[in-house]
Amino acid sequence: MKRSLENIKVAFQALFLNKLRSFLTMLGIIIGVGAVIIIMAIGSGAQSSIVSNIQSMGTNLLTIEPGRDTTRPGGGPVEFNRNSTPTVRGDLYLSDYKALKNASTLTGAAAIVQRSSTVTYMGVSESVSILGATDDIFKIRNYKISSGNFFNESNVSNSSNVAVIGQQIIDDFFGRIDPIGETIKIDKQNFTIVGTLQSLGSNAMGQNQDAIIIIPVTTAQNKLYGLSTVNNIIAQVKDESLIDQATSEITSILRQQHHILSGKLNDFEIRNPSQMLETMSSVTNTLALMLAGIAAISLLVGGIGIMNIMLVSVTERTREIGIRKAIGAKNKDILTQFLTESIVLSITGGILGIIFAVVISFILSKFAGINTAITATPIILALSFSTLIGLIFGIVPAMRAARLNPIESLRYE
Amino acid sequence: MDKKIIEVKDITKIYKIGDVQVRALRGINLTIHQGEYISIMGPSGSGKSTLMNILGCLDTPTSGTYYLEETNVEKLNDNKLAEIRNKKIGFVFQTFNLLSRSNIINNVELPLIYSSKNNTKDRRLRIMDSLRAVNLTGWEKHKPSELSGGQRQRVAIARALINDPAIILADEPTGNLDSVTGEEIMAIFQKLNQEGRTILIVTHELDIAMHTNKIIYVRDGLIFKEEKVENPIDAFKKLAEMPRLEDRLN
Ligand SMILES: Nc1ncnc2c1ncn2[C@@H]1O[C@H](COP(=O)(O)OP(=O)(O)OP(=O)(O)O)[C@@H](O)[C@H]1O
Ligand SMILES: [Mg+2]
Repeated sequence: MKRSLENIKVAFQALFLNKLRSFLTMLGIIIGVGAVIIIMAIGSGAQSSIVSNIQSMGTNLLTIEPGRDTTRPGGGPVEFNRNSTPTVRGDLYLSDYKALKNASTLTGAAAIVQRSSTVTYMGVSESVSILGATDDIFKIRNYKISSGNFFNESNVSNSSNVAVIGQQIIDDFFGRIDPIGETIKIDKQNFTIVGTLQSLGSNAMGQNQDAIIIIPVTTAQNKLYGLSTVNNIIAQVKDESLIDQATSEITSILRQQHHILSGKLNDFEIRNPSQMLETMSSVTNTLALMLAGIAAISLLVGGIGIMNIMLVSVTERTREIGIRKAIGAKNKDILTQFLTESIVLSITGGILGIIFAVVISFILSKFAGINTAITATPIILALSFSTLIGLIFGIVPAMRAARLNPIESLRYE
Repeated sequence: MDKKIIEVKDITKIYKIGDVQVRALRGINLTIHQGEYISIMGPSGSGKSTLMNILGCLDTPTSGTYYLEETNVEKLNDNKLAEIRNKKIGFVFQTFNLLSRSNIINNVELPLIYSSKNNTKDRRLRIMDSLRAVNLTGWEKHKPSELSGGQRQRVAIARALINDPAIILADEPTGNLDSVTGEEIMAIFQKLNQEGRTILIVTHELDIAMHTNKIIYVRDGLIFKEEKVENPIDAFKKLAEMPRLEDRLN
């Protein structure tokens, strides 16, 4: 007990005697540990906001997309196709939406056309994402009205030129002017603003969801983009437990709609949010693996630095080792003394790395608006890894110290 | 007859440097009893330090037997030798060999760190006793670099005393000191011997050797002559008679 305390005291003495050298030695560990914790903090910050975003989008929502030719290689992003059944090319129409709307497992559905258009108001022009949708979108996406009203079913059936706008659009075009009742131009056509949305923040992919204009899907199809199809249909399942049933009901309705003979592939694809979560977590796992690689390399470099400086230290302190041995220190006493020293060095480096990471993450989230979340796992990992590094890379110098011959050491100048 | 502390028979030590063999010791026979105060003299390179290192269990002989208080030393492994150095031997070096970064207390305490048995209170007492024995109380918190050579050697003696060793081995303890300071060190040894301690000193100076009760002359790795000192010099008396620099300055 007294001896290990003495060892730790001697270790800190040595560390403080060469402050700059110790610091430079620890730098590898500090940077390695710090970088890993910071990246993990940013990663888990991003992940938690992605997960909560996907969940806020509703875990009971199914997205129906037009089919892509998956029989051909390169028929779509691999990760999205991995869990779904193969499809052939196809299209979705408003008639599909109407057929789905009253399905027994669904509480509703919305058809969507999504494009980008030039929006002009009082001489200011900007490219804005236009969401053409049936009026059910407001309920399904859980949009909240800030002022005015949503458009209604008759606006959709009449292809009315009405628009509901997000907070960002208000900021960009109107400033302090009340936008309700104002007329804006979307691709040279006049639209009357009937409502504004409450702010939604950014979505899972980091896009600003407030930079949006929602218009009736029919208006988008007929008057703006000349489309007969829709981009996708969102279906709201009555209960999360009914997702599988709903998927098969939608499949049978759409196959009937599209007159697909039995045995032929679907020409549409149904995606559910848990699939997206799985995709996300596989991306995160790859990221974590890469991080582990970076961490391993930087800790290795740090470890070699520690070994190097410990070898120097053993040489410099040959005489001290000789004195200790002459006075009765056993080989194992010297071994533990120098091992303690390299571990103290690497743990101190690890702790400084953690402090560095905490400060940087704080600065990032405070001033750069990056979401960070420091969790216990990387800290515990960092500490145990740096202990291990000190032990592994300290063993060779410590053994060299322990094996020194006392007489020769005493004679060393 | 007093108890035998050290008994060596036919000790040889051969150093090999490449093809060259250096026969540093060529058959030393020596017995030291409890309470003896002995000095070893001899020309440079005669093997005095080699013999001291073997007696101090820092080195092992090439051949011969060595008993230290009934323990057959030449059969022991590194760990056991370290234990003997710690408990039975008090080494004092020409160059003091103190830890420059530790204060006086920690230097004196060092042998206790490697002998696990004492409790803290006992430790404190022993450190204080040791420092008192060498007239060095009041310097506990200082570093060796803040002390004079004589004071440093007194710290080294205090360190050698702390584990109550069977014998004190001093290799040219006054070699780096002026004559007055050297005399002070000899006074400490004299007092320790009068208290019953067994002391063996290596020296180049006959003046120093004449303080001890017996002089052993070594030449070419062999004991050449042993001689009893009829009227050993009393270091305290000599110190009192020594012309003092301070007196001259007044
Ligand atoms: N480690 C060693 N390797 C080789 N030769 C050695 C070693 N140590 C001592 N010697 C040789 O052994 C002989 C005795 O050396 P030692 O140091 O014992 O002499 P000494 O009597 O102490 O001399 P001094 O009075 O100068 O201290 C010398 O010839 C020396 O060169
Ligand atoms: Mg010598």
